[in-house]
Amino acid sequence: MSAPPLASVTAPPAMASRVATAVVLVALLALPFFQPHQFVLHMLALVAISATVALGLQLLLGFSGQLSIGQAAFYGIGAYTSALLTTKLGVPFLGALFAAGIVAAVTSLLMVPITRLTGAYLAVATLGFSILVYLFIKNEEWLTGGSFGFMGIPRASVFGTVLRNPGHAYLLCVVVAALVYFALAQLQRSRFGRAINAIRQNEDAARASGIPVTLLKSQCFVIAAFVAGLAGSLYAHQVRYLAPNDFTFWKSIEILIMVVIGGMGSLFGAVLGAAVVVLLPEVLREIGDYRMLVFGAVLMAVMLFGEAGVAGFLSAIGRRLGRALRSSGGDGGATQASAARKDRARA
Amino acid sequence: MRELLLEADALVRRFGGLLAVDAVSLGVRRGDIHGLIGPNGAGKTTFLNLIAGVFPVSAGTLRFRGDDITAWSAARRARAGVRRTFQNLKLFPEMTALENVSIGLHASTRAGIFAALARLPGQRREEREIATAAYAALDFVGLAHQAAVVAGTLPYGHRRLLEIARAMVAKPPLLLLDEPAAGLNETEAANLSALILRIRDEGSTIVLVEHHMDVVMAVCDTITVLNHGRKLAEGEPAAIQADPAVIEAYLGQGEASIGEAADAHA
Repeated sequence: MSAPPLASVTAPPAMASRVATAVVLVALLALPFFQPHQFVLHMLALVAISATVALGLQLLLGFSGQLSIGQAAFYGIGAYTSALLTTKLGVPFLGALFAAGIVAAVTSLLMVPITRLTGAYLAVATLGFSILVYLFIKNEEWLTGGSFGFMGIPRASVFGTVLRNPGHAYLLCVVVAALVYFALAQLQRSRFGRAINAIRQNEDAARASGIPVTLLKSQCFVIAAFVAGLAGSLYAHQVRYLAPNDFTFWKSIEILIMVVIGGMGSLFGAVLGAAVVVLLPEVLREIGDYRMLVFGAVLMAVMLFGEAGVAGFLSAIGRRLGRALRSSGGDGGATQASAARKDRARA
Repeated sequence: MRELLLEADALVRRFGGLLAVDAVSLGVRRGDIHGLIGPNGAGKTTFLNLIAGVFPVSAGTLRFRGDDITAWSAARRARAGVRRTFQNLKLFPEMTALENVSIGLHASTRAGIFAALARLPGQRREEREIATAAYAALDFVGLAHQAAVVAGTLPYGHRRLLEIARAMVAKPPLLLLDEPAAGLNETEAANLSALILRIRDEGSTIVLVEHHMDVVMAVCDTITVLNHGRKLAEGEPAAIQADPAVIEAYLGQGEASIGEAADAHA
C-alpha cells in the first residue's frame, strides 16, 4: 500500500472555517459605519470584552483541561489596575491596558502551587482565590473605593486621541478581542498547543513523552490571567465605574458558562458563548423577573443538545450544508485530513 | 562484554504491606532486547514503572548511562531518553495519529510560546521537521496511511503500533515496551516481533515485558524471570526455557513448556 504524501496530512484548518472567521470579523469591524444605536454598540463592546476573558479560559479549560472558577479575580485585578494607573498616576490608556495584563499575569503566579490539583479540587481552589480577590476589592477602600465603587475612570485613548465616539470605543474592544483570538489560534496550532492538548487527553502519556506538565499548566494559567487582565482594563474604560459586585464569583461562573455552552476547545465557540451570555438577558429584559428562568432553561437545553455547544451545533449544520452542496455539485474531494479536523469541532 | 545501559541495584517497591518488587538487581546491556517475564502478579509492570519513574522506589538505586536517576521524575527520564508504551494503551484519543507521534518529539524540539506567536522562521522550520520525523515513524511501524485519522477511531492493533511509534520517534536510547503483543492475533504478533527487531537495529535498547512467548523467544537476547517480586532466573532464551525453576513457577509442576503455560495466562 502506498502512503499519501505528508502535505495532505498536515493541511491547514479547513478553508470554510477560515472564511467564516474572516467574514464575521469584517462584519464586526464595519458595523459602526452603519451607525447603529449607541446602546447596541455598548452591548457589543461588552460582548467583545467578555469574549476576551472567555478566550483566555478556553485556553485554560478547553485546551489544557484545567477547570478554573476564578477568572473573575484576574478580570477584576486588570480592571482596578487600569483604573488606578490612569486616574492616580496619569498613565496613558495603552500603557495601563498592557500593565493590567501584566499585573494579572504576575498575580496568577500565586496559582502555581495549585496547578498540581485537578478537576473539582482545582475548581474549588480557584474559586477560593476569586473570593479572596473580591474581599480585597471590597474592603481595601483606600485603594479601590470599596463598596462605594471606583468612579471617574477616563475613556480609553489611543496615542493621545480620546475615544469619545462609542463606535471607536467599540472598535477598540473588537480589535483587542480579535488580536487575542488570532494569538490563541496560533498557539493552538503550535508545539505548545499540541503539548497542552496532550496533557488534557492523557497526563501520564504526556509525562512519559517528556512534557513538563506542571510548567505548561502554569503557563496556561498565566496566559489566561494576562488575557483576563486585558479584558478587565477594557471593561474599566468602557463602563468607567467599577464596583466590587462586578467581580464576585458569579462573574467567574458566567465566564465558565460562556466557554462551556459555546463549545469546549473552540475559540469561535468562546466568542459565541460570550454573545449568548451577555445578550440573552438583554433580549429577555421585557419578561422581567422571568428572564433568568429562561436563561437557565436555555443553558440546560444547549447542554442537553450536545457537549460541543453552540459552535459544535453550527459546524454540524455547516457539514450538512457542505455535504448537500457536494452531492448536488458533483465530486467533493474533501481529504481525510480536513474531515478528521472538522470532526473535532475545532472552529 | 558490552557496557550496561541500565543498572538496577536491589530495587524494592512496597504497596502498603505488599512487596511488589523485592530487591531485584538487573543489568541491561546496550543494544540488547531484554525480556522480562513471569506469571501474573510477578511484579513485571511494577518493575517497568520503577524504571520509567511512575512512582518512586522504596529502596535501591537505578543508573542510566552511568547517571543515578533514582530521584528523577518520569518526565525528566523521558527527556533523558527513557521512553515507554503502556500495558493499557494511553494515547491522545482526539488527536490524529500524526499529532500523537509529534508529541513524542516534544522533548527534542524547542519552540515556545513567543516563537509560536511570532511565527519565527525557526519555529516554522521546526514544525516541518516535527511533521516529517513523525510521519517517518508512522511509516516505520506501517501506519503512514492512517496519519490523518483520529487516534480514538483506529482499530486496536493500529493503536498499539501508534503508541510504539510515539515512543520510538525520538530514537530513545532505552525503550520500555509493556506487553505490546497483548490482544494481537498470531499474524500481528509475528509482525510485532519483526518491528521490535527493526527498532533495536535503529539503535534503541529495549526492555520487553510480555506474556506472548513466541514474541519473547523470537526477539530477546536475554530474559529475566520474576516471580513473587523476586528474580527467579536470568539467561538466554534457550536456557530459560529449559530451567526447571522457571517451569515450576509457571505451572506449579514441571510438566508443560513455559510457552503453553504463559499462553494459558494470556
